[in-house]
Amino acid sequence: MKNNNNAGIEDVLDDVLQSYPAKSMKNRKEHILVKDKKKDKHKIKANTRTIPGIITNRGCAYAGCRGVVLGPLKDVVQLVHGPIGCSYYAWGMRRHQGVAAEGGKNFINYTFSTDMQDSDVVFGGERKLKEAIKEAVEIFNPSTIMITATCPVGLIGDDINNIAKKAEEEYGITVMAFNCEGYKGVSQSAGHHIANNEIMANLVGIEDKELDHKYPINLMGEYNIGGDAFEIERILEKIGYDIVASFSGNGTADQIKYSHEADLNLVQCHRSINYIAEMFEEKYGIPWLKVNFLGVDATIKALRNMAEYFGDPELKERTEKVIAEELAQIEGPLNRYQELFEGKTAFLFVGGSRAHHYQNVFKRIGIETVVAGYEFGHRDDYEGREVIPDIEMTADDRNIPELEVTKDDKKYNMRISKAKKEELQQKMPLDYYEGMIKEMEDGSIVIDDLNHHEHIKLTEALEPDIFCSGIKDKYTSHKMGIFSKQLHSYDYSGPYAGFKGHLQFAEDIAAGILNPSWSYINPPWKDNVELAGTIGGVR
Amino acid sequence: MGNLKRLDVNPCKMCMPIGAAIAFKGIEESMLLMHGSQGCSTYMRRHMSTHYEEPIDIASSSIDEQGTVYGGEKNLRQGLKNLIKLYSPKVIGVVTTCLAETIGEDINRIAADFKKANDVEDISIITVPTPGYGGSQFEGYYLTLRKIVEQLAESSGAKSSKLNVAAANLSPAEVREIKRILDLFELEYTILPDISKTLAAPFTKDYSKIPPGGTKISEIKKMGDAAFTIEFGTLVDSSLSTAVYLKDKFGIPAYRLPIPIGLKNTDQLINILAEISGKKIPLSLKEARGRLIDTMIDSHKYNSEGRAAVFGDPEMIYAVSSICQENGISPVIMATGTDLDIFQRKLEELTADSRDQNLIFSDTDFEEIRNYVNEYNINIMIGNSDGAFIEEKDGIPLIRVGFPIHDRVGASRQQNIGYQGSNNFLDQITNQILALKHDNYREDLYKEFYQANKGAAAAKDAAELKVGEE
Repeated sequence: MKNNNNAGIEDVLDDVLQSYPAKSMKNRKEHILVKDKKKDKHKIKANTRTIPGIITNRGCAYAGCRGVVLGPLKDVVQLVHGPIGCSYYAWGMRRHQGVAAEGGKNFINYTFSTDMQDSDVVFGGERKLKEAIKEAVEIFNPSTIMITATCPVGLIGDDINNIAKKAEEEYGITVMAFNCEGYKGVSQSAGHHIANNEIMANLVGIEDKELDHKYPINLMGEYNIGGDAFEIERILEKIGYDIVASFSGNGTADQIKYSHEADLNLVQCHRSINYIAEMFEEKYGIPWLKVNFLGVDATIKALRNMAEYFGDPELKERTEKVIAEELAQIEGPLNRYQELFEGKTAFLFVGGSRAHHYQNVFKRIGIETVVAGYEFGHRDDYEGREVIPDIEMTADDRNIPELEVTKDDKKYNMRISKAKKEELQQKMPLDYYEGMIKEMEDGSIVIDDLNHHEHIKLTEALEPDIFCSGIKDKYTSHKMGIFSKQLHSYDYSGPYAGFKGHLQFAEDIAAGILNPSWSYINPPWKDNVELAGTIGGVR
Repeated sequence: MGNLKRLDVNPCKMCMPIGAAIAFKGIEESMLLMHGSQGCSTYMRRHMSTHYEEPIDIASSSIDEQGTVYGGEKNLRQGLKNLIKLYSPKVIGVVTTCLAETIGEDINRIAADFKKANDVEDISIITVPTPGYGGSQFEGYYLTLRKIVEQLAESSGAKSSKLNVAAANLSPAEVREIKRILDLFELEYTILPDISKTLAAPFTKDYSKIPPGGTKISEIKKMGDAAFTIEFGTLVDSSLSTAVYLKDKFGIPAYRLPIPIGLKNTDQLINILAEISGKKIPLSLKEARGRLIDTMIDSHKYNSEGRAAVFGDPEMIYAVSSICQENGISPVIMATGTDLDIFQRKLEELTADSRDQNLIFSDTDFEEIRNYVNEYNINIMIGNSDGAFIEEKDGIPLIRVGFPIHDRVGASRQQNIGYQGSNNFLDQITNQILALKHDNYREDLYKEFYQANKGAAAAKDAAELKVGEE
C-alpha cells in the first residue's frame, strides 16, 4: 500500500474529487472522510440523493424490499406487480439459501409477476393482479402472498393494498402489499424500511403460539447468503437457543406470525432491520442486541453477550464450552493464515453493515482495511446510533411513512426490568449500534456511495491487495490486476459466518491471492516488469 | 400457442432496456444512460456483468419521488453533464425505462435542448424509447440498432461497395467469427454492434473506463452509402428492422438471415457472401463445411435419440432449432417469453418435416415450459441459464447457449456459428446425449432385461406356490 500517511491521503482524495463538475464535487466531498483518532467525532453525509450520471452501485426501493428483506422467506409467493423486468432481475439474484422445513413449502426458486403490458399501464393493472393472485392460490396454495409494487404501479394508481385485503378475505390466507416503487427514497434502504413497516403492521403477532423454549430468540437482519444462517443456527442450537423466527434468511412468514413469543431479538444487519427491532420493543417489550456473527472474535462476543442477557450460569457455561470446542478446530489454521497474510490490505465497499462486519474478519487473519464504505448506509451506521437525533429528515425520508406502534396491551411483556437493561447496556450493545467508524484504524478512508470513478482512483492510489464488493465492480478490479472477493454473493462460496465460516473465508482469500495466474499478468516481452510475482503477485 | 395465464412464473424473457444496453455496448467510445429509477441500471449491470464477466458501466438519471412529480428533466441533464465530465464519451445512448415512459418524459426534446445549451456538438446523443412494458429484450435490442442507424446514418450521394451487417445478440467470439468470415471474402463492412472487444476486453493492465473497440461512429454515418445490408434477424418485425430501414430510406438491398448456426443457415450466409463479393468460396470454408457434414454423419445415430426443449431469445431459438432439426434431434418444445406472432409460423415452417409433434410457445414462462418438458419426455434442454432450475429439479441436462448465462463461465467465448462453430456446438449436444446414454445404460439394461425376467420368475414362483397351497 502506498500513501499511508494522512497528508498523502488528502492528496489522493483531492485527486478523486477534482474530476467532477463543481456541483458534484461539493456533494461528493461530504461523503468521504479520513479516520482521525485525534477527533472524537466524524461526520459523514449519507443516505442522500444519488448524483445522476456517476455510475452508482446503489439499487432501488423495490430491490431493498422484494430482493433483500422479503426474498429469503421460503414459504412466500413473491408476486411482483409490474412489467416483467423487475421480477426477472430479482429471481435468484441474491444467494440467500433456504431449506424447506419438513412438509413446508419452498418458493425460493420462483419469482412471480403480473407481466404488465402497455394496455395495463394505460387502463390499470388491478384486474390482472386479482387474477394473478387467484392463479397463485390455485396452483401453489401458499399460506402467504406478498405483492410488491414496481415503478408504474404507484404512478397509475393501482390500489394494491385494497386488493391484498380483499384477497385475504376471499382466500383465507395472508396477503400483503408493499408500496416499494423503485423511485422511492434514495437507495434500497427505503425498501428495507417499507418492508419493515408492513411486516410489523400486518405479519408479526397475527398468531399466538405456546412455545416450550427456554431461550427463544429471533434472528434479524441475517439473510443466509451462502449459507451463513446455517452456520449461525448450528452454533446457537448447539448452545441451546431456540430460533423462533428469522428475519429473513432461511426464514418463513409462518414463523414471523408468532415471533413476538421470543425473548430477545438479535440484530445482525442494523441498517435493514433496525426499524422492526425498535418496534418490537415498543410493542411487545422485547429488547434487541446488536450482534455480529462474521468473524470469530465478534461471534464469541455476541455469544457471551447473549448468555449474559439471559443470565443463566448453566447457559454461560455451555456457551464457553461450545466456544472452546469450536475454537479448537479452527485456531491453528487461522493463525497460519494470519502469518501468511500479515501486511496485506483490503478495500471494502458493501451494503449497510458488511463493510463494518468484515473488518474484524480481515483483522483476525492479518489484513488491514484501508477503505470502507456503505452503498446505502445512514449516518448512524457510520457514526453510531447516538447521532440519530441530529440526523436531518429530508423530503425523501418523509415520503416513507413512519409507522407508529404502541404497546400491545395483550401481548406486551417487558422481558427485563429497566434497571437490568441499564446494567446490561453498560456491558453490551443492547438497543445500540456503535457504527463503523469507531473501530477503524487511523488514516483509513470512509466513503459513502462509492462510484465507478472513485473505485478506480482509490485503487490506483492505494493499491489494495483485496477488493471486496459485488459483481458490478468485481471485473473492474480484475481488469486492474487486483484480486476481488464478492461480499454480496461470496462468488458461489460460503458460509463465512461463525467459526467454520471464518476458516472458509480465510481459505478462499488464500485461494484467491495465492493463485498462480496473478504471476503471469505482466507479459514477458514487456519492458520494466518485475518477473517474479510476490505472494499474490497482484502488481 | 400463447399464454392464457395472468401469472408469470419464472419469466422466459427480460425487459426492453437490457436489449438496448447490449446493443449500445458495441458502439465505440459510447456510454449509456438509463432515464429512470436507478435500480434499472443496477439490475442490468449486474446481469450483464455475470454473463460477460466484464465491467458493465451504465449510468442512471436516478429519478426520485420528486422527479416523478415534477419530471425528470433536471436529473437527466445533470446526469449527462456528469457522464461527459467523467467519461468523455463520443456517443451517449439515452434510453427510457418504465418510470420515464409512464410519466411521459420527452427524451428527444431534452437531449436536443441539452445539446443546444451545452458545448457538446461533437457528442452524438442517441435516444431510444424502451419502456419495460413495451416488449422484451428482443425488441429492445433490434429497436436500438435501428434507432442508432436512423439517427446517424446518412447518404453522401456516392455509393460505396461496403456491406452493412446488423448482428443478432451474439457472443463477442461469434462477432469475431462473422468478421473472420467476411475477411475471407475480402469484403469491406460495418458491423453493428461490434461487441467483439468491448464485451471481451483482453487483459492489458491499462484499464480504461470505456473499453476499446466497438463500431465507429464515422462508419455508422456512412451506412447509408453501403451496397448491401445483411441482418441476422428473420423473426424481427419490419418496424424494428435496420435492414428494412436502410432499404426504405437509402434503397440498399437487404438480406435478412437467420443466425448462422447449423449447415443450412451457414450455407445461406456463405452463398450470399460469395454472390455479393463476386469471390469464390474460400477453400478453408469448404473444408470446414466438409468437416461439419462428416460430423453430422458420424453422430447421427446418437443425435436421433435427442428430444430437445429449446428456449430463450426468439432468434436464437430459431437457429438452435434449425441445427437440431437437420441433425435429427427433435426440437419437441420451442418456447419464448417474448410475445411474437411470427414465431409460431416460422417455427412451424422450420419443423414441417418433423416426425414428432412439435410444441411452439410464445409469451410463455418457465413454469409452463417445465410442465411440458416433463410431460413430453425431453432429454435435453438448450437455452439460457434461466432453465437451470428445471435442470436442478428434474435432472434434465441443460446446454447453456445465448443470453444470459449466469451460472457458468465463458459465455463471451462461446462460438456456435459458421461451419466451425456449428460443428463444436453439435458435438456439445451429441456428447450430452451420449453422456446420458453412458450414465444410464447399465441401469437401463438391468431394468429392461434382468429385473423384468426376475419379476416374471418371481410371479411364476408365486403362482406355483398358490397352486401348492390349494
